[in-house]
Amino acid sequence: MVAFFRGKLAFTLKVILLSIISALLILLALSAFGQKQYVIGIFIILVVFGANFTYLTKVSIPLKFFYPGLIFLLGFVVAPIVFTLTMSTYNYKTGNYIGKTEAITQIQKLAIEPDASGSTFDIIVGKYNGSESAILASDTVKKQYFIATYKERFDLNAADLKLNQYQVATQAPNFTALADSELAGADKLLSTSRFFYTSEYFVALEGFDVGALYRQKLNFLSERDAFQNISTGAIYEDNGKGNYANLDLPTEILEPGWRAPIWFENYSKLFLDPKVREPLIRVFIWTIVFAVSSVLTSFAFGLLLALALNKPIRGRRIYRSILILPYAMPSVMSILIWGGMFNTEFGAINQLLGTNIAWFQSVTFARVAVIVVNLWLGFPYFYLVSSGALQAIPSELNEAAAIDGATPRQIFSKITLPLLLRILSPLLIASFAFNFNNFNLIYLLTGGGPKSTLDGDIAGATDILISYTYQIAFGSFTQDLGLASAISVVIFLLVASISLYGIRKSKVLESFV
Amino acid sequence: MRNRKSLKALAVSLALAVSFGVSLTPVHAASTEILVWADENRGPNLSKVIAAKGDWVAGYKVVIRTFSSFDALKAAVDAATDLTGPDIIIGANDWVPTGAKSGKLAPITLTAAVKAQFNASQFFDLSYKGKLYGIPLDINNVAMIYNTKLVTTKPTSFGDMVTYYKANKVAKGLKAGLCVAGGGMSWGAHGVFSALGADAYLMKKDGTVNYGQSFNPSVFGNNVKTYLLDSNKKSNGFFPATDTGCKDNFLAGTVPFAVIGNWEWADYVAKGFTMNLMPVPGATAGTYGKMFGSVNGALLTSYAAKHGSEAAAKSLLVNLFASTAGQVAYQTYEKRPPAEKGAQSSSVISDAQKGFGSSASLAGIPQIGAFLNNNKGGASYWDSAPAYWTAVLVDGKDAVKEARKLAAIWKTNVISGQADL
Repeated sequence: MVAFFRGKLAFTLKVILLSIISALLILLALSAFGQKQYVIGIFIILVVFGANFTYLTKVSIPLKFFYPGLIFLLGFVVAPIVFTLTMSTYNYKTGNYIGKTEAITQIQKLAIEPDASGSTFDIIVGKYNGSESAILASDTVKKQYFIATYKERFDLNAADLKLNQYQVATQAPNFTALADSELAGADKLLSTSRFFYTSEYFVALEGFDVGALYRQKLNFLSERDAFQNISTGAIYEDNGKGNYANLDLPTEILEPGWRAPIWFENYSKLFLDPKVREPLIRVFIWTIVFAVSSVLTSFAFGLLLALALNKPIRGRRIYRSILILPYAMPSVMSILIWGGMFNTEFGAINQLLGTNIAWFQSVTFARVAVIVVNLWLGFPYFYLVSSGALQAIPSELNEAAAIDGATPRQIFSKITLPLLLRILSPLLIASFAFNFNNFNLIYLLTGGGPKSTLDGDIAGATDILISYTYQIAFGSFTQDLGLASAISVVIFLLVASISLYGIRKSKVLESFV
Repeated sequence: MRNRKSLKALAVSLALAVSFGVSLTPVHAASTEILVWADENRGPNLSKVIAAKGDWVAGYKVVIRTFSSFDALKAAVDAATDLTGPDIIIGANDWVPTGAKSGKLAPITLTAAVKAQFNASQFFDLSYKGKLYGIPLDINNVAMIYNTKLVTTKPTSFGDMVTYYKANKVAKGLKAGLCVAGGGMSWGAHGVFSALGADAYLMKKDGTVNYGQSFNPSVFGNNVKTYLLDSNKKSNGFFPATDTGCKDNFLAGTVPFAVIGNWEWADYVAKGFTMNLMPVPGATAGTYGKMFGSVNGALLTSYAAKHGSEAAAKSLLVNLFASTAGQVAYQTYEKRPPAEKGAQSSSVISDAQKGFGSSASLAGIPQIGAFLNNNKGGASYWDSAPAYWTAVLVDGKDAVKEARKLAAIWKTNVISGQADL
């Protein structure tokens, strides 16, 4: 057996396996390069070289075990953090998605305007005198026919042409139409071609059969990195925020814009823009309240049940199984069911209580509902860990305290609870961090609401930082991914700081921190 | 010796990897393909159209990619790249402003003959800053239907419906009087807003927007008080603030009037309901609430130019999506009201679809995304409209005061959105 894993066959298998993995990764890298995702492409290539180097040499035996984990850590933890951090310094929102070069191309393409009457022609694409790209154009209303190349226009008489039933010219002297197969190959060229009409106007293709009359509205001044309006002379310069803006009227910008670095502007918005700052403060306070309440209620209830079931009682196993059920059920399903139960008209809760409470319309009731549902989802976890921790506390301690005359309440508060907290502190901190970012619950249960939209509220009463961030990033027609990234970075720093503080304070994991 | 062996193995491994990788590298989509993205309903139906006739653009193959839902399609459009993006998207009209602003959509110019085959307001829906970004494909609108087993005479005013509800609420176990079953509490409910005096924007007789005027919040607020609230200023139950359960309740016969969408008429016909479609009657007899009519469009993307298939994609838009033959072929399967005039008179169009059409012609207004998506007033139409119903009918806030806030928001949005037309 050992020989199998160390012999030539094993080595050959290793080479084959590495080759297959490397090939798949190279395939991904090529795809990334194809999509101009050069950083991802280079990273994958480095991963391939690293893998081959690690597994085909004996440079480090431990690295053979750590390598996959390291790569996943870099690819799926470090890289998203770096990307989010980078994007938080960019103007990256609706209207500013693409790169600058692409934006210039698109502005140039959009910077044409049709003539006043919106003239269009039936056209046939072909060659003039056998070599020059040209169109045979027909205006069947005005009975105007001409051949246009890139530089010239030749007006034609209908009598010299072969016309079809719709009076569209199909053949003309010195003009050879392109075959369908030739047209398909020439699409890219034809789409960007401008056929001469007058010194001001040109014909551009609107499909293979139609041409429209346009003139250029803006010129790109490459040496100045600016656009100029040909008729008004207005200059549009790079405003440093991802748009070309009119020098005389800076609010007038050309679209589309591009992703441009604006450094700390997204962060300063969090503190200086009242439209962002005020809801953010409210959301932050509620996030802390929600996370703390969720952890405390779930822990308290879980511990209570663990204490109750820590003593031998009849049917304990059945009770334990039942208590774990909410944990076993997918949380998405539980949340949606709870959402239905809180429905004002048809919900089971109102029917049981005999009330008509609009749970998700009232700020207080919506917040209570969120915490109740989170308690339901969270207590089985704390019941399980508390049960385990209780059994780890030596019974001699309780017995000794009882002999010394301590009451059960004193034993719990002075011995059991401190010991439990010492054991469970890391889990409580982790739970706090989880609830701080408990997006699913808020999104599925209340959608962040209720919200006084008519009073200008941007954030809802149950929105927590992460759902508020999602709303900024994706919740409306104007998506501000840069600002959302900045808030994400702040959330990351907050959660990391609170967790670190908690871990230090509780003196657990001392050897690691 | 061992190092040598390792190096050899390294070389072999990399060589194999490169050769295998390169051999697996997918060939980019052929430039003689036109890629169309569509949702789970439209995609399969378009595939049937293409299967029956594939030569809509000579020399090109049309490839339809279907997404599992409209939301999945939208997510894919948001994440599309130059390489993966489609040439044409079958999308909602309100995707146009953001798509155009972000450079994802590309404009198209149509001949006068093609334009004449559509209603001018449909182009309004698919335009941004004066440029057209697609072809109107099918019409989305809502209309009010009433249950003839409960209501024997057609209501002529909003008050008629409220009177009926109050008189029969207990006796017939009605859960509501009028509810919105299709289109939600913003889009679908505009007919109710308008019937009571609140229009998102007002139109002139020549079909242009009346920027100088917006709705009167006092009139609207007082109408809400009169028809939707009781003497304690609480909802009288006639009009629920949510669309939850509306369709089921109407089908069960516990709601006499409902606003339904033209995409779901078959469900009502299957349950034996007559398609007695009409606009929501207004506060004054003979007037009607204006309902949005929007179109789904075949939208040209900027990716088409990058794939080298822009001219072909434009040809497909004209030959298939803007032609009578193309729209009839498509609506034979899709069964929505077509946007193209020739197809509208085709025999494949059902009486129900025609009913929606006549309701729209009586009281329809174009859905102008530039105004409705705009949130310069503090919230978009889509967010503020349902918020009004909640504030007044659920939270019990003053109908007139809230109407003033609503009017201010909508007015600002319209003025601000003017720049995007």
